[in-house]
Amino acid sequence: MELNRREFIRQMLAFGFSAATAGTMFSLLACNTEDITKTVPISPVSPSDTHLVVVRGESPTALVQTALRALGGIEQFVKRGNDVIIKPNICSAYHSYEYAATTNPEVVATLVQLCLGAGAKRVRVMDNSFAGTAVVAYNRSGIAEAVQQAGGEMELMSRMKFLETEIPEGRDIKKWRVYTDVLDADVLINVPIGKHHSLARLTLGMKNLLGVVVDRNKLHINLDQRIADLNSLVRPTLTLIDAVRILMNHGPTSGDLNDVKLANTVIASQDIVAADAYAATLFGLTGVDIPAVRAGAQMGLGTMDLGRVKVEEISL
Amino acid sequence: MVSVMAKGSLKSRSPVKSVRRWRLVRRVVQVLSLLLFLYLLVGTQQEGNTFIPHDLFFRINPLVGISGMIASRQWLTPLVLGGITLLLVLAVGRAWCGWICPLGTILDWTPARRLHRNQLDISPYWRQVKYLILFTILLTAILGSMTLLVLAPITMLFRTITSVFLPAFNSVVTTIETGLYHIGFLQPAIEWFDSLVRASLLTDQPFFWPNLVIALVFAGVLVLNAVRPRFWCRYLCPLGALLGFVSRSACVRYSVDEARCTACQRCTIVCPTGAINADKGFAASSAECTVCLDCVAACPTEAISFQRQLGLAAPQRYDPSRRQFFTSMGVAVAGAILLRAVPVLRKANTSLIRPPGTNEGQLLSECIRCSECVKVCPTGGLQPSLSAASWEGLWTPALIPRLGCCDYSCNSCGRVCPTGAIPNLSLLEKRQKVLGVACIDQERCIPWADGLDCIVCEEMCPMPQKAIQLEEAKVANYHGETTTVLRPTVIEDMCIGCGICEQQCPLDGEAAIRVYPVGNINS
Repeated sequence: MELNRREFIRQMLAFGFSAATAGTMFSLLACNTEDITKTVPISPVSPSDTHLVVVRGESPTALVQTALRALGGIEQFVKRGNDVIIKPNICSAYHSYEYAATTNPEVVATLVQLCLGAGAKRVRVMDNSFAGTAVVAYNRSGIAEAVQQAGGEMELMSRMKFLETEIPEGRDIKKWRVYTDVLDADVLINVPIGKHHSLARLTLGMKNLLGVVVDRNKLHINLDQRIADLNSLVRPTLTLIDAVRILMNHGPTSGDLNDVKLANTVIASQDIVAADAYAATLFGLTGVDIPAVRAGAQMGLGTMDLGRVKVEEISL
Repeated sequence: MVSVMAKGSLKSRSPVKSVRRWRLVRRVVQVLSLLLFLYLLVGTQQEGNTFIPHDLFFRINPLVGISGMIASRQWLTPLVLGGITLLLVLAVGRAWCGWICPLGTILDWTPARRLHRNQLDISPYWRQVKYLILFTILLTAILGSMTLLVLAPITMLFRTITSVFLPAFNSVVTTIETGLYHIGFLQPAIEWFDSLVRASLLTDQPFFWPNLVIALVFAGVLVLNAVRPRFWCRYLCPLGALLGFVSRSACVRYSVDEARCTACQRCTIVCPTGAINADKGFAASSAECTVCLDCVAACPTEAISFQRQLGLAAPQRYDPSRRQFFTSMGVAVAGAILLRAVPVLRKANTSLIRPPGTNEGQLLSECIRCSECVKVCPTGGLQPSLSAASWEGLWTPALIPRLGCCDYSCNSCGRVCPTGAIPNLSLLEKRQKVLGVACIDQERCIPWADGLDCIVCEEMCPMPQKAIQLEEAKVANYHGETTTVLRPTVIEDMCIGCGICEQQCPLDGEAAIRVYPVGNINS
C-alpha cells in the first residue's frame, strides 16, 4: 500500500497535472481553514470499577449475549440513534473463519444485532485487510454474509479517510494516519480474535487496532510501544475478544487447522488492557509476557494486574 | 439487417428515409457495442461476474482465433466464435469495422481531416501495408510467435484502457478526492461519489511507467486520423485486412447505377475509408468498404445502393500480390529468426516472474497480449512487460512484486485468460504453483543490518507453516547494548514466490527481501 501512495505522487506529476494542482490547492486551503488533527472522545476507565466478563460455552451467539448481559446490557454502551463501528479482525482473505485468522462471524453478527436492538442508527463493520482485498476477505471470512443478515453494513475503508491525527499521549509516535470515522463514531466495539504473532507474541485487543491505520508495517520497529501509543488515541467503548477458536502458531495468517485450538470462550471488558491480559492466559501466558500489554499498563490505558480487576467467569 | 434492406432495393421504397433509419441503427449499434466492450472491461474483476463472457470481444475476433490456434497448435474452442464474424463479413462485407469494432467507433468520433473535392488520396498502394502486417502476423504465428498480435485492434484498445487510462483515472480521482476530503462540508458528497466509482472503475491499479509506450502507440493511432479519417482502418489494421480479404466475396455489396450518377463526388468525400474510386466510375472496393451507408445518404440522385451480388469483387490495384505475400513471408521468417522469436532459438527467460502455472514457451505462443489478466489482478502487480521479456515477449504479463504480490487468495488471471496461456487453476492448485523464491538482502534487512525488530515478511507470508522462519539472535544495537532480535530466513523449499514479503517490506525504495525466478537461485 505504501508503494501505491508513492506511485500516486509520481502519477500526479505526469497525468493529473491539473488535478494535482487543484488537489494541492485544496489541501493547502484545508490546512488553513480547518484543523484536521483532532483529539478523541475517550471512554474513561478507572481501575476501581474495571469489570471483566469471561463466558465459556458452545454457542458463540450465547457467549456474546451472556457477556453483554453480565456487563450490564448493551444499553450501557449503545444509545438510541448512535453511530456504531465494530472492528473485528479480518486481516486476511486466505481462509474461512475455521482457520482462526479472522473473527468468528457469529460473534460479530450477534454484536450487530444487539447494537441495532439497542436503537443504534447505523452499525458498520470494517477492517483494513493486509492480505488479499478487503472484499474477498469480508466474504471468505463469512463475516460479510453474517453481518448483512443481521442488518449491519460492511464498509470498505477508503484511503482518503485516513487522516493524519495527533497522538498527544504518544511516547514514540506523535501522529499517524488514522481512519477518521473510527475516531468520529459514537461507539467503537473492538472484536479481535486471539492469535499468535511472532513479534507481539499475541494479537489481541490492543494490536487489533492496527487495522484502523495505514502504514502499519512501519509500526513494527518498536511495535509494542507504538501499539500502546495508538491505543492512547483510539479508545474502544468495549473490547470483546473472540476466543471461540484461537490460533496457537503461524499467525496472523494461519492455514493449518492443527494450529487452531477450540477454546469456546469470549472475554469482554471496557478495559482493553485487562481483556488482553486475561486472554493471554488462554495461551499459557500472562499480561506481563505481552510487551504491548505492559506498555499499555504503563501508560495508564488499563489494568494489567488481574488481581485488581473484578473478573466474572460464567460457564454456559 | 443490411441484406433485408438490399432485397427491397433502396430505390423502390422512400430511399432517403430508409437510409437515414439504417444510419441511425448503425450509430446505435456502434454505441451499444462500445458500451458492451467497456462494460465487459470494467466487469473483468476478481469478484466480478458479467452476464455474458467477459472476453466476448476476443472470442468473436477471428484474427485472435486463427493466429492463436496456429501459434499454439491447439484447438481453442472459445475462439471458434470468431467464425460468426467471418460469416457476417461473408454476408454483408466489412460491417464489423463500421458497426461493431469499438476502436473503429472511437476513430469515427476522433476529429479527422476530411478530403476536399478533387483532392487526391494518399497513394492507394499504402493500403497494402495492412495486408503485409496480417501476413506477417500469420507467418510468425506459424513459427510459434504471437508478438505481432499487439497490433490487433481489440487487444490494443483493451490494453490501453486497462494499463493506462484506468490507472491514470484512478490516480487523478483519488488525488482530487483526497485533497477535497479535508474540507468538512464536502465529505458526504465525496463519500457518495467514491462509493459510486471505487468498486467498479477505481481499481487500485498503480500506474506502471513503461505502460506509457502503450499510451503512445494508441495516441499514434488516434493522431493518424488527422492525416486521413480512419487511417488505422485503411492502412494498418490487420483485422481489417483479414475481414477485407473475406469481404471481397461478400453477398451484399456496394453498387452504383452509372446511369444516375452525376459524378458529383459527394460519396468519395464522405466515405470514411476512401473506398470509392472516382476514376473507376465511382466503384467501391468491397475490401475497404465498412458498410457505413454514408455514401447512400450523401448521393443526391440515389445512384448508390447495397445489393446482393455473387462472385468475387473486382480486384484492386492495391490488392496484395503473390510476390508481396512471399516478401512478407521472408520478412517474417528473417525477423523471427533474428529476434529469436522461434521456439527452438529461444533463450530461457530467467529475469521475469510469470503468472502462476505458466510455462514460458507456452505463454509466448498463446498470449494474445490482451491484458485481461492485468485488469483482473487485484494487487496491480501483474503488468505488461516492455523490454524485460525481450522483443518477442512484448506486453506479456509479468509480476512486479514490489508493486503488488500474487495474492494467495486469488486465481483470477487464469480464470479470465481467453486463450489459456495462463492456465485456469483452482485456488488450491494455484497455491501450489511456484513463481519464484524470495531472497533476503542481509545488508539492508532491518533486523540483519540494524539489529532492530521487524518481522513484517514473516507475518505476511501466507504459507500455512511460514516459508520465512525467525531465529532469535543476540546483537549489539546502535548504543552498544546487547539486545535480542528476530532475524528472518527464507526456507526455499516452502517458498512459492508470491512476493507479498517484497511488496510489504517496510523499507523505502527496493525491498530487502526480493523474489527471483526459480532458475536463478537453484542453478
